[in-house]
Amino acid sequence: MICWSCEREGGGGPFCGACKALLPPDDAADHFAVLGLPRGYALDFPAAEVAYQKLSRQLHPDRFATADPRARRASLGHTVQLNEAWRTLKDPVRRAEYLLELAGVDVASDDQKTGPGVDRGTRRLAAPPAFLLDILEVHDDLGNAQRAGDAVKVAFLTEEMRGRAGEAMKIIATALDTGSTQAPDQGRLDEAARALIALRYYRRFLDEADAYEERGADRSGGG
Amino acid sequence: MAEALFQISEPGASRVKHACRTRAVGIDLGTTNSLVAIVDGGRPICLTDDRDHVLVPSVVHYAADGTVVVGAEARALASRFPRDTIASVKRFMGRGPGDAEATRRLTPYLFAPSGPNANEAVVRFSVTGGTRAVTPLEVSAEILKALRARAEAALGGPLAGAVITVPAYFDDGQRQATRDAGRLAGIEVLRLLNEPTAAALAYGLDKQAEGTFAVFDLGGGTFDVSILKLQEGVFEVKSTGGDSALGGDDFDRAIAHAIIGRLGLGGEIDPGTIRRVLDAARVLKEKLTTESEAAIEIALPDGDRTATMRLHRAEMDALVAPVLARCGPAVRRALKDAGVDASALSGVILVGGATRMPLVRQFVEKLFGQPPLADIDPDQVVALGAAVQADILAGGAVQGDLLLLDVVPLSLGLETMGGVVEKIIHRNTTVPCGATQTFTTYADKQTGFELKVLQGERELVADCRPLAEFSLKGIPPMPAGMARLEVTFTVDADGILRVKAREEITGQEATIDVKPSYGLTDDEVERMLLDSFAHAEEDVKARLLAEQRVEAQGITSAARLAMADAPELLTDADRVAIEAALVALARAEVGNDHQAIRAAVEEVDHASKEFAGRRMNRAIGSGLRGKDVAAVEAKADETASKRDLATRAGSHAGHSH
Repeated sequence: MICWSCEREGGGGPFCGACKALLPPDDAADHFAVLGLPRGYALDFPAAEVAYQKLSRQLHPDRFATADPRARRASLGHTVQLNEAWRTLKDPVRRAEYLLELAGVDVASDDQKTGPGVDRGTRRLAAPPAFLLDILEVHDDLGNAQRAGDAVKVAFLTEEMRGRAGEAMKIIATALDTGSTQAPDQGRLDEAARALIALRYYRRFLDEADAYEERGADRSGGG
Repeated sequence: MAEALFQISEPGASRVKHACRTRAVGIDLGTTNSLVAIVDGGRPICLTDDRDHVLVPSVVHYAADGTVVVGAEARALASRFPRDTIASVKRFMGRGPGDAEATRRLTPYLFAPSGPNANEAVVRFSVTGGTRAVTPLEVSAEILKALRARAEAALGGPLAGAVITVPAYFDDGQRQATRDAGRLAGIEVLRLLNEPTAAALAYGLDKQAEGTFAVFDLGGGTFDVSILKLQEGVFEVKSTGGDSALGGDDFDRAIAHAIIGRLGLGGEIDPGTIRRVLDAARVLKEKLTTESEAAIEIALPDGDRTATMRLHRAEMDALVAPVLARCGPAVRRALKDAGVDASALSGVILVGGATRMPLVRQFVEKLFGQPPLADIDPDQVVALGAAVQADILAGGAVQGDLLLLDVVPLSLGLETMGGVVEKIIHRNTTVPCGATQTFTTYADKQTGFELKVLQGERELVADCRPLAEFSLKGIPPMPAGMARLEVTFTVDADGILRVKAREEITGQEATIDVKPSYGLTDDEVERMLLDSFAHAEEDVKARLLAEQRVEAQGITSAARLAMADAPELLTDADRVAIEAALVALARAEVGNDHQAIRAAVEEVDHASKEFAGRRMNRAIGSGLRGKDVAAVEAKADETASKRDLATRAGSHAGHSH
């Protein structure tokens, strides 16, 4: 990239190799590259967090409050990219979804944006009808128990669902973590994708149960 | 000639101007009180007034003669002029008249009817008997002006800028209103900083602490809770939540309702009584922070009688407990969003005057399972943290690597078909941030998009706060679902949103910086700035007056010194004329007419002209005696400037007569 400041070749890093000016971000860089992490499901969380903090310290707009407008724009771009990368990778579910996207498997949920480096919509997977029927049934059970004020039943259903969500996470981790930088094969990807789709339903269930619990806690005096 | 007197009596000692220190300050624009702080010698301190008071009550009084009074003086006027004295204005910031939470409360204010502009949706207080309508933004600007004056007096020069704190839960409209208030007060707003974050900044700096902390901030009008992680100089906000309409004021109101009930003040209550009852409630609440029982006299509406209101702490606790309980859900949600268990917290930081109450401390301890920290004055901690951030942004920070990573407090999205909100940026995403989402047309041959930007956590448009609307036109007719509209949301480090929409096939594009529909347009701010120029004329007069007074004091002391220094050069006529001119000047100086002072200064100048000329000649003559020619020539160059001054002063005096 040609540096905007010294007009020489600036190299590949965020800062110009010649004059140290902040260069605009590479929009095509994937989230792992942005954080300087190896692409894969396994993540050394404390080390990744330190990497994020270190990059934030270098690139954040507060560091460029009085700099050239071009450096300020570059700083904003870098930080937006960095924050999105960290938001995606720090969360195991979002990380798994992103890895699948990178591998061309579309599991995008409603709230998900297409990330950089992703060729969207190659293979779309959906939840099997039997699974959906099962989930609907448990949902009905939860609704009935809540309306009846049956706290024991609500707790039992919630606990069971927590167990299922935990199992799904384990399947995802096992399928995607190849123990090396090698990408998982198609069989593993499909397994992870199915578990992710199921997990999305489990989570929605748990959110509803939490919301109910919260309302209950507030009814009983707030402390 | 005044210059000539100076030059001769005090050679080399020209008037020293204060070195202009321009500095950035931190401002806590609070519901009840406001403060201003600076970093001095690497440590933040709050600035005081001449009576050592740190807090400026956030109260503004509009007097009938047009003058504006801010602070303790205004608060003292509140019960006599309840409608002309605006307190707790922060609650109304960025609120429209339809906002029930803003207007349905127990307030003594009179709201002005909406103006002719149909879109005008700003609350206006009707003051000075209905002759003037002021917006919350203008009221806040008055408080900011007072803080700015305090800071400039302390710094001896203009401000470089300020970091102003806002509750984390302030929405975009409330933030914009705060920023505009700063602008109206002539302050460059470097950053809007979330209050809990500011508090953590003050603590982090003070304690050099590492770990995950909760900040429980219960102020006069707002409640915020934030979870922050402090690690290696990075303050990362993990989550934030709260209620922008819950605070100590609500405790006062709960107590006030009880007072009204007990004193049997039914029916329509006059605004003066409401104000007095609210004040009494506040006093009781403050007393009961340290005592278990308190009493207060309240003047009754008929004006002659007073009643005594007596309250036990336990009774008060029962009155305010339901209000306090509303903090619970926000705390639980913030912990959940941060993915942190209360037991994993390294500490709970208390902020805000209301956290002094024993009941609040017990509540916090129960909620978090550990006693809270309150080492730094909970009233000052936010302003101190803001000063630290201002120092960082102004580049003067000694903290070097310190960095603050804040979050979006509320989700941001777009309206889609069926009145459903599509969230584009989720709450608690670290700022700056951006996200892009693609939309399409729902009707055949649709040639435009109407985009409605919303803020909030609810699914339905009707339950979220509308921020802005704009449209993208000029799309060629296509079957439904063909057009691809790419919408990008970007939130900058201030938490201010920009939305860009681009139709991919045609390349049609539209961009807006979100200015909330119930905030102020640039035109309105412009108009207010112009209005303030009318006041600026008064400000200019005040400055000219101050300058002329300094000039008068200077020439008076110079003249007295010169007369004492060389009485032998003074004729009786000179002495009489100069003394008379000095007496006239002293009289003009106590007045408010800067032109009169200026004329009197010139009179002294004129009366002392002959005397000054003689002193000048003697000074030059004594310099000549006993020196060789070369030295005299060298000296002549040096004195050239003094002669110039003497000539200028002389001709000036000549002109005026």
